[in-house]
Amino acid sequence: QGGGGGCWSRSQPHWFHTLQTRRLRVYRGRSNSDPLGGADDEQAFTWKAGLQFGAAQSYLSLEKLGEGAFASVYKGISRINGQLVALKVIRMKTEEGVPFTAIREASLLKRLKHANIVLLHDIVHTRETLTLVFEYVQTDLAQYLAQHPGGLRSHNVRLFMFQLLRGLCYIHSRRILHRDLKPQNLLISYLGELKLADFGLARSKSIPSQSFSSEVVTLWYRPPDVLLGSTDYSTALDIWGAGCVLVEMLQGAPAFPGVSDEFEQLQKIWAVLGVPSERSWPGVSLLPNYRIEWFLPSEPKSFRTVWKRLAQLPCKTEDLVQRMLKLVPADRISAEESLQHPYFSTLPLPIMHLRDNVSIFKVPGVRLETEVKDIFTPARRVKPSLLDAMKRS
Amino acid sequence: MEGPSSRPAATAGRRDSSGEGEDPARDTKTHFRVCRFIMETGMKLGMRSVPMATACVLYYRFFDRVSMRAYEPYLVAMSAIYLAGKVEEQHIRTRDIINVSHRYFNSGSSPLECNKEFWELRDSVVQCELLILRQLNFHVSFEHPHKYLLHYLLSVRSLVNRHAWSRTPVAETSWALLQDCYHGAMCIRHAPQHIAIATLYLALNSYGLEPPDGERAWWQVLCDNVTQEDIDAVISDLLHLYDMEAKCI
Repeated sequence: QGGGGGCWSRSQPHWFHTLQTRRLRVYRGRSNSDPLGGADDEQAFTWKAGLQFGAAQSYLSLEKLGEGAFASVYKGISRINGQLVALKVIRMKTEEGVPFTAIREASLLKRLKHANIVLLHDIVHTRETLTLVFEYVQTDLAQYLAQHPGGLRSHNVRLFMFQLLRGLCYIHSRRILHRDLKPQNLLISYLGELKLADFGLARSKSIPSQSFSSEVVTLWYRPPDVLLGSTDYSTALDIWGAGCVLVEMLQGAPAFPGVSDEFEQLQKIWAVLGVPSERSWPGVSLLPNYRIEWFLPSEPKSFRTVWKRLAQLPCKTEDLVQRMLKLVPADRISAEESLQHPYFSTLPLPIMHLRDNVSIFKVPGVRLETEVKDIFTPARRVKPSLLDAMKRS
Repeated sequence: MEGPSSRPAATAGRRDSSGEGEDPARDTKTHFRVCRFIMETGMKLGMRSVPMATACVLYYRFFDRVSMRAYEPYLVAMSAIYLAGKVEEQHIRTRDIINVSHRYFNSGSSPLECNKEFWELRDSVVQCELLILRQLNFHVSFEHPHKYLLHYLLSVRSLVNRHAWSRTPVAETSWALLQDCYHGAMCIRHAPQHIAIATLYLALNSYGLEPPDGERAWWQVLCDNVTQEDIDAVISDLLHLYDMEAKCI
């Protein structure tokens, strides 16, 4: 052991202290953000002089919205411009540093600016916490579905679905997978704007042979290839999840619900789509978790007999569901193709040519219909005047 | 293989001149050695190519923004490895990084005791991770040339003579050349597509393989926006790195 060069030895312990003692004793948070990206500057009036992006005291938390493994989410208000924000406060465990989900969420969202992706405004760090500051969106699809049991109006389903696929098309074209699509992660504003959120499990795709962790998607929305242990999944993973969400919005109940493990989840899927064979799905028997006893005989059924709502709607709805919920991942429709599907042909044409950051509700004539339940309990409805005010802003 | 003895020399050289201003030539050498450290440590930790590339890019982008005199490059390298593991979903424990690094600098010695020094070192690695995140504004997921090279290799294989292809290790050589690009800041100076094309170009040339050109050169068909100048620039940077290897060891 070279005594002179022993930066590791007791004689010269200083080199690894430098960071702690000199650099990180900063109690005030520091910014990593480009404040409002320049373009929105005219809106950014200042409430209090001296408050900056990235500083902890620039945000006031109002109420707790939720609690996760690594983070708590608060509704808050920006003291810089008075906007409502969602504050995702991530506790940093000293032994492991910043949780990898937070790193991935922040690094991916920083690159994404789209009307159907939740906007990351700012990042604040203090000594013990890291706070991601998001735009505040009033509710999510899970709550919306719970408030309107029995399925949503088909017009609204179409608008939500278009926005979901528009968001997916955007991230997929940037080689990013969401990997955790479910109603809880789809935020819904009062206007009906849908925004993809929770990118903690999202990842950028790299080389095609790259394998990912298979423990990523909530079971109900997980495609059969991933349930069978495939780790070379790609954009088709998110399409399956989106297909499940489409059925759930129509039916008011999850497409493949309520089971405890991969085996039962697969049986739910086989019960509708039929059990695959090496002939219908070449390579299925080579997947890591393939077990012959998991492949109990089951005939495919027509979707409209399983999900009754499809029988009441034009068959292009069922056609889109069929193209999304394919057993073989390579057969599933892409997000880009799905936006061209006849299911969306009743939407006004300008909706197809919007700039990334423009909401579909800027197109004249595009608006959410009142859900049936809200017609009978009008107290829950949002005042039209409020809607108009939001639309103008 | 770089011996552990080169480390004290590097440190001594750097420390002696601290406060005397920048010396780009010496900095380049230090970066070369530190990236060699990242790759050797990464290999021993079983890191895949892409996470290792991410670690090197994190390292270079960090020192693109701050002076080498302000932070210890080997500590930044260790944190870059740790952070790259998180970004690329190949998690590596801090204690493994510390133990492997300790062995790198003090070959043949026993592992560090779990004493105060160890914990302080681990805290430093974790704190430095946050520092890198701050400096890079959380822009820590990168597009690498690896996937492009793979794609180009598959295309070129179908263009050249099958026997010539099986006789020559073009794929292995171009992949190795690609890895070597990460010894220098060139890995953040060129577009990923350009690096991929250039390493393939160099590998094919060194084995005398020439894919047939149509109206356009084969590399133009594969990558629209690359020019002969771009390719030459990458190759020149890479050859420069090989020159440096001799000076650094």
